[in-house]
Amino acid sequence: MTPTLESLATCFQGLLPAQFFTCSADGVPNAAYLSHVDYVDASHVALSFQFFNKSRRNIAENPRAMVMVPDPDTGQGWCLRLRYVRSETSGPLFDRMALRIEAIASYCGLKGIFKLRAADVYEVLGIEAAPEETGLAPVDSQGRARASREANPIFTITALQDLASRLHGADSLEALVDSILEGLDTSFGFKHSMMLVPTEEEGVLVTIATRGYAEDGAGAEVRHGEGIGGLVAEARKPIRVSGLMRGMLYALAMHKAARATSPAAPVRRIALPGLPNPESQLGVPLLVRGELVGVLCLESEVPYRFHEEDKASIELLGSYLAIAIQNVQWQEREAEASQTTTESPAPPSPVPGSTPGPPTRGIVYYEGDDAILVDDEYLIRGLPARILWRLLRVRETTGREEFTNRELRLDKSLQLPEWKDNLESRLLLLRRRLDEKRPDIRIVPRGRGRFALQVTAPLTLTTRE
Amino acid sequence: MIDPSLACFLEEGLGIHLGVSDAGLEPQGARAIAATVDADGAHLTVYLATVAAARLRPALQSNGRVAVSFGRPIDDRACQVKGELVGISDADAGARPAIEAQWQGYLTNLAQIGIPRAVFAGWTMWPATAIRLRVTALFEQTPGPDAGARLP
Repeated sequence: MTPTLESLATCFQGLLPAQFFTCSADGVPNAAYLSHVDYVDASHVALSFQFFNKSRRNIAENPRAMVMVPDPDTGQGWCLRLRYVRSETSGPLFDRMALRIEAIASYCGLKGIFKLRAADVYEVLGIEAAPEETGLAPVDSQGRARASREANPIFTITALQDLASRLHGADSLEALVDSILEGLDTSFGFKHSMMLVPTEEEGVLVTIATRGYAEDGAGAEVRHGEGIGGLVAEARKPIRVSGLMRGMLYALAMHKAARATSPAAPVRRIALPGLPNPESQLGVPLLVRGELVGVLCLESEVPYRFHEEDKASIELLGSYLAIAIQNVQWQEREAEASQTTTESPAPPSPVPGSTPGPPTRGIVYYEGDDAILVDDEYLIRGLPARILWRLLRVRETTGREEFTNRELRLDKSLQLPEWKDNLESRLLLLRRRLDEKRPDIRIVPRGRGRFALQVTAPLTLTTRE
Repeated sequence: MIDPSLACFLEEGLGIHLGVSDAGLEPQGARAIAATVDADGAHLTVYLATVAAARLRPALQSNGRVAVSFGRPIDDRACQVKGELVGISDADAGARPAIEAQWQGYLTNLAQIGIPRAVFAGWTMWPATAIRLRVTALFEQTPGPDAGARLP
């Protein structure tokens, strides 16, 4: 029985290289590797066009072609007889293919070096099994037979109910983002995840929560267009990358070749928490009425972890999560409206020369960089740095240790954005960063819209240009 | 002419595909399993599972022009050999150990990029057919701007 193109979806993830056969008008055949074959619809596929090469010239003379794609799950090879139809240089198909190339290049630190010139669309005239590439039962990454996705679905009603119940129980932004990542792990099996939110700086995201990594990573920043998170934020579209290692090898091979002719190829790695060798990545924008609330990124060491239905389900879930995040921020803001500042005395300062206490922390706020260093080690920058500096100064001058979100909002010196200041996420980020780096300075929630600054070491505060 | 250094690369156990086209200019192709270069560097023998060779045989015999791509999965180094058909024959049993060694080398290469060997357990290697070519041109195919450039 001839398979449908839809049933070959796993072949179009780039896990195994495809082979492209063309022929010139005078009958000279050409065989070449292809970086990417993409599913378009029930009777069309798209091939990535990045370089002018013999295949492309042949197609201009003779639109017939054949592509061989192996199924990475079963090993079955498929021969697709094709006829060139058109090239797309914009639109959803082009964007999707270009984003995949950009995501891989960005992961290698080679963003902007490789460009998709066009998504070449071909009509599929026939599909035949390659007899030399006979398939077996699907196997997992360790080569063990695995159950089909249909027999073992991930997004079950039970799993969704479990996640929903976790989210309903979350009464703060912190509890909510932790519930989301924990739920994605325990209910759906997505072990490695992170959430990023936009900062007050245009085009910059910051990590506020992670799960499954050795480092917490709170505070790690990424610019729009960098890595999968930055690309998702820039494009405001979900991005799924499978076979990342293969894609990276391909990108690095191209880079090596390109560098021989063009010396201006920077190599840079993005300092974000992540798996050392990810094979699959999925990033979805968390959007509410077009506003980017955050970006959710999932990673896996399994080459084909995120299937098409996962992307669709997570994208749908992303809208729900975005609304939940926005709602909890509004709830916190409403609650804080009724709060008043509570004065409380500072704890007694350690007396020099008495019982040995913790060492004095030297905290320096660099006005020019808008950043705080503790004992010469970078802690945080931007709005969270200004907030911490204000809290520490108030504590030093008045002894007060209890604060409200409302008073921060009213403090013009903090330069919070007038509209949608995302204060809660900045406080969460600051709290996590302190917990990770400076546990002797802590921000402890005291109910909605209120928190305490707890300091257990003597501090010296210095401002520098 | 395939120089000794390139011959070593072609024989180390790579992903090999053989492309042909029939009289109606319909391109066809199949996976090959091994290749050997003659000492003169002017001839190449490509081995295909016989089930694959059978599919290409009519086009091979009607056109005779052949393209063979070679790619190493671990770093995507690749090249293409263009040639003209000299002959088709059953692979000699004596050649089987060398063919199998190349095939295993390729599977090891795939395993190094995370593709489990079990995925390819069903791929056919033997009986094989030997397709002997006279080399007419060599091309760089490593991805990048130089892909397609003629090799000396």
